[in-house]
Amino acid sequence: MANPAALQDKEQTRQLDRWLRSQAKTVKRPLNTAVMLGSVNGFLLIAQCWMLAQVLNATAIGHQPMTTVWGYLAGMIGLFLLRAGVNYGSQRFTFEAGARLRTELRARLFDHIHALGPAWSRNQRSGARATEVVDGVEALDKYFSLYLPQMQLALIIPAAILVFVFPFDWISGLILSITAPLLPVFMIIIGSQTEKLNQAQWQSLSRMGAHFFDMIEGLTTLKLFNAAQREARFIGQIAEDYRLQTMKVLRVAFLSSMVLEFLAAISIAMVAVYVGFRLMYGEIHYLNGIFVLLLAPEFYLPLRSMGTQFHARMDALGAVEPIIELLNMEPSTQPTGAIELQLEHAPRITFSHLDFAYPNRDAVIRGLNLDLPAGTHTALIGASGAGKSTVGQLLLGFLTPTDGEILINDTPLSKISPRSWHKRVAWLPQNPTLFHGTIEDNIALNRRSNGHVDALRQAAQNAHALDFINRLPNGFQTIVGDRGQGLSGGEIQRIALARAFYKDAPVVLLDEPSASLDPESERLITDAIARLSSGRTMLTIAHRLTTIERSDQIVVLDGGKIIEQGTHEALLHANGAYAERYRQYRSAGL
Amino acid sequence: MSRKQNHSPKQNELRWLYAISRPYLGWMLAGVLLATTVILANVALLSVSGWFITAMAISGLTGAVINYFTPAAAIRGLAILRTVGRYLERLITHEATFRLLAGLRQWFFERLEPLAPARLQYYQGGDLLSRIRADIDSLENAYLRIVTPTLAALLSTVLMILFLLWWSPTIALTNLIGLMIVGLILPWLALHLGMNSGKQIVEARAALRQRTSETVRGLAEITLYGDPQQRMDTIHAENRALVVPQRQQNRIDAGSTALTGLFSQLTWLGMIVIAIGLVQSGMLDGPELVMLAFFGMASFEAVAALPIAFRALGETRSAARRILDLVDAEPALIEPINPAAAPQHFDIRFDKVCLTYPGNKQPALSDVTFHLKQGQKLAIRGASGSGKTSLTQLLLKFWAPDSGQITIGDTNLNDLSGDTVRALCAVVSQHVHLFNTTLAANLYLAKPNATQEDLLNACQAASILDDILALPEGFNTIVGEAAARLSGGQIRRISIARALLKDAPIVILDEPTEGLDAKTEQAVTKALAGLLQGRTAMIISHRPQLMTLADQTIVLDAGCII
Repeated sequence: MANPAALQDKEQTRQLDRWLRSQAKTVKRPLNTAVMLGSVNGFLLIAQCWMLAQVLNATAIGHQPMTTVWGYLAGMIGLFLLRAGVNYGSQRFTFEAGARLRTELRARLFDHIHALGPAWSRNQRSGARATEVVDGVEALDKYFSLYLPQMQLALIIPAAILVFVFPFDWISGLILSITAPLLPVFMIIIGSQTEKLNQAQWQSLSRMGAHFFDMIEGLTTLKLFNAAQREARFIGQIAEDYRLQTMKVLRVAFLSSMVLEFLAAISIAMVAVYVGFRLMYGEIHYLNGIFVLLLAPEFYLPLRSMGTQFHARMDALGAVEPIIELLNMEPSTQPTGAIELQLEHAPRITFSHLDFAYPNRDAVIRGLNLDLPAGTHTALIGASGAGKSTVGQLLLGFLTPTDGEILINDTPLSKISPRSWHKRVAWLPQNPTLFHGTIEDNIALNRRSNGHVDALRQAAQNAHALDFINRLPNGFQTIVGDRGQGLSGGEIQRIALARAFYKDAPVVLLDEPSASLDPESERLITDAIARLSSGRTMLTIAHRLTTIERSDQIVVLDGGKIIEQGTHEALLHANGAYAERYRQYRSAGL
Repeated sequence: MSRKQNHSPKQNELRWLYAISRPYLGWMLAGVLLATTVILANVALLSVSGWFITAMAISGLTGAVINYFTPAAAIRGLAILRTVGRYLERLITHEATFRLLAGLRQWFFERLEPLAPARLQYYQGGDLLSRIRADIDSLENAYLRIVTPTLAALLSTVLMILFLLWWSPTIALTNLIGLMIVGLILPWLALHLGMNSGKQIVEARAALRQRTSETVRGLAEITLYGDPQQRMDTIHAENRALVVPQRQQNRIDAGSTALTGLFSQLTWLGMIVIAIGLVQSGMLDGPELVMLAFFGMASFEAVAALPIAFRALGETRSAARRILDLVDAEPALIEPINPAAAPQHFDIRFDKVCLTYPGNKQPALSDVTFHLKQGQKLAIRGASGSGKTSLTQLLLKFWAPDSGQITIGDTNLNDLSGDTVRALCAVVSQHVHLFNTTLAANLYLAKPNATQEDLLNACQAASILDDILALPEGFNTIVGEAAARLSGGQIRRISIARALLKDAPIVILDEPTEGLDAKTEQAVTKALAGLLQGRTAMIISHRPQLMTLADQTIVLDAGCII
């Protein structure tokens, strides 16, 4: 949510402000209409005050009967209705402006996320991004629907009132026009001070909240150490300290807004008293006096509510920062090949002199040469950071090599249309994503036109998922959440496997799950993977050595280079890095 | 402390809110009185001003002598009263809110404590925690947003109407009707009409949030298995669809604001029309007419905050309901009235222990019997859901068995207080909660009176000392910052150091090496071996490496030892 603490840099604040204003240009028309309607409302208000002044002048001073003021009374009712309509309209227009802006901005963010691609998105905290894109954009609304139009009206309406006050009573006009500029000036002087205090306060409040919820989250841990009751006393104590400290700040902070209120209140009182005395001496006409007195509070109203608008602005500025940051992220170059890949059988895949580095960083992959013969199973091992997953991302086409080529049979991957390549690779990630929907939809994300039902069952069967799916209350139609609520880790893995079986792609990239499963799940999954590998070209990114002994070749990666390569037996015989790791693993009691 | 308040399960939320705010009623009342003062001062300021200039004008025209000092002074005085009153009101209402906040949080924590973890296991996870967070938040704001505006509106309305009755019952009635329409009927209508769209907005937002989250998370899967374009089309459609209920809501809100203005204006115009009649019949004079006109216009400020209060009321009630439901759960077990002293001997014996969690048909444990001699290590294996963790929950007195007996030494667990039992046990599990304070404070949690040397020794034995000292701030590193720099294995070893510091005779390991890579697992296992030395232990794991530390094994399947 909005975090004013992030806004300490003044220059940055100004930049964010500029960015928001530039966004508002796209909805200029409805916003201007809303401001225009707001101004019209202001003029109607002045007219209403004038009619009321006429009525009061005639009846309170002139003691004339009601019949003489019927016209004014009817006119006022007309104005009331008109103003209600205008009021409604201006709220609708500001809404439409804000709504369009939010929808368009969010659409841009979605497109941008799409453009940034899987290589970017897999490292993101998805929940936080979703909050930024959905709730963050919503939080901008008040900037456009409240702050921008009201700031304009805060100039237009008081100015219009002044124009009418001067001819009727120039002394009151003078009082108003002298005090009015003082309000914003004071507001800015006091506001910047208060803002700092507020920020400090906000931080300490959120720190206190964080402490409280940290304690709740760790309640079991506290109980295990018999510390819960000790902490309970602290919670009350901390909140008390916070109160004392905050009240000290608020006494000052509220004082500043009191000065503003005071200025407005005393000006109105001055107008009333001055008008009163000049009426007594007959220096002005009653009609003028009452008209000015009616207008005076309306004059200060938009200025006084500017505080609320500034608050709306601060909220928006807090929310907009991560949005701009996201939009400024450069998508990596996407392959633009156009060849439609034709594959009858599992292809041979060759990594040729492959280099990869993220922009402005050291190379992750250096001169990688690797051959995956058609229909074989290759296991890639190496310490974390050796570049294993990068190889996987390159193979999927989510990353583009900085140099070198990946050849599919003999066609360079860079020349193949990404869409046609993606149709031919299946990927089993470490932590598969389940989408909100039925199990059927999760296995068959892209439904086959014919034989869907059989293929679905067969895929589930091959992945050893059919039994547990059938046990679920609604079978394949069971709804699962995006974190796979209600399914165990092993079951999620098997649904992901069923996905790969259903897709029946000739190339498979397998990212072994790092967390160990219970032995039964592990056995089923190993068995299903063996079945999946037959007749396909498969690359496994291995984190444990349990499953890879049977693969056709094992590749040991270190610092982005291959340091060993061969079958299990050959590598053991060579007695190098692989043999050492294997022995380590064995001694661990395997 | 916490157990003396006993709530019936279907307690009224509002009554409960009242009960909990009791200690702060003085502050709250003062806040309400000040808010009322501000409203009335404003009404009086405008009314007196209107009366004053009219009277002055008449005196100017007729030459009648008028005491102008009193009203002129009153105008200035009221302007000051309004401003100072507003200042004090804000101070006092905030004071009350902060006092309420302190009380509420402590109350909530104390009530939650006996329920953890048994009754809270369904409430784990970030979503529910953030819901509790939002609920506590809206309860804390209830006074500022609901109580003060409502009571102040009520009180000032009563006083204003009483004042008007003195001048004219008809005018008073007119104003009352207007205030009721604007303050009660219109907000109620808006709330009622907006219920549907309000719900739809919340749902559409949640759906879009979820869709975004899973799209970011699963973009690779979408690209490889699905149709990215179709996905983007769906998400764009959902994005546009969000506006539909919002527009509906905006129509209602805009309509209600426009009507609020209209009815306020019609009301004071009605009051003026009635007053004109009274002037004609000589019951009122001119200045009084103007005074009543200004009075009517200003009176609507009293009910201006009610629509927001109305809206907040529903939200606060459901927040209170959820919090009440949460804390009103029965604790999972009853503490003994006269707890026995801690046993001096640490054999662990489970005798025909059965446990079925409420709402489940399948028993979690049935007829589990085993005997673990002091100093022995028992490995417990079994598939997930076979009841391994239930065993440890029972031993820690987080749950009570439905039947059967558990003893430590020769003391029945039923006769020991939970605190005593937990003082005997140290736990290392795969989920380690480190509090967001310094690493040192997290370690001292296990033994508040530990010396610096104890701390260093424990960390040394858990082979985490060098890692901690390598951090720029060492033991004073704040966990939040450390979490970015500490690996899963390091966090696990910190929790081992914590267990070592606690120096309890019984150790429970609940899959402590889960999710670690091979090398880290080895380091953690080594540290665990040190922890287990000379202690009685239960080890849950299916990692072969850990199993080597045990000297006997039981295998659980569906709650039974096989």
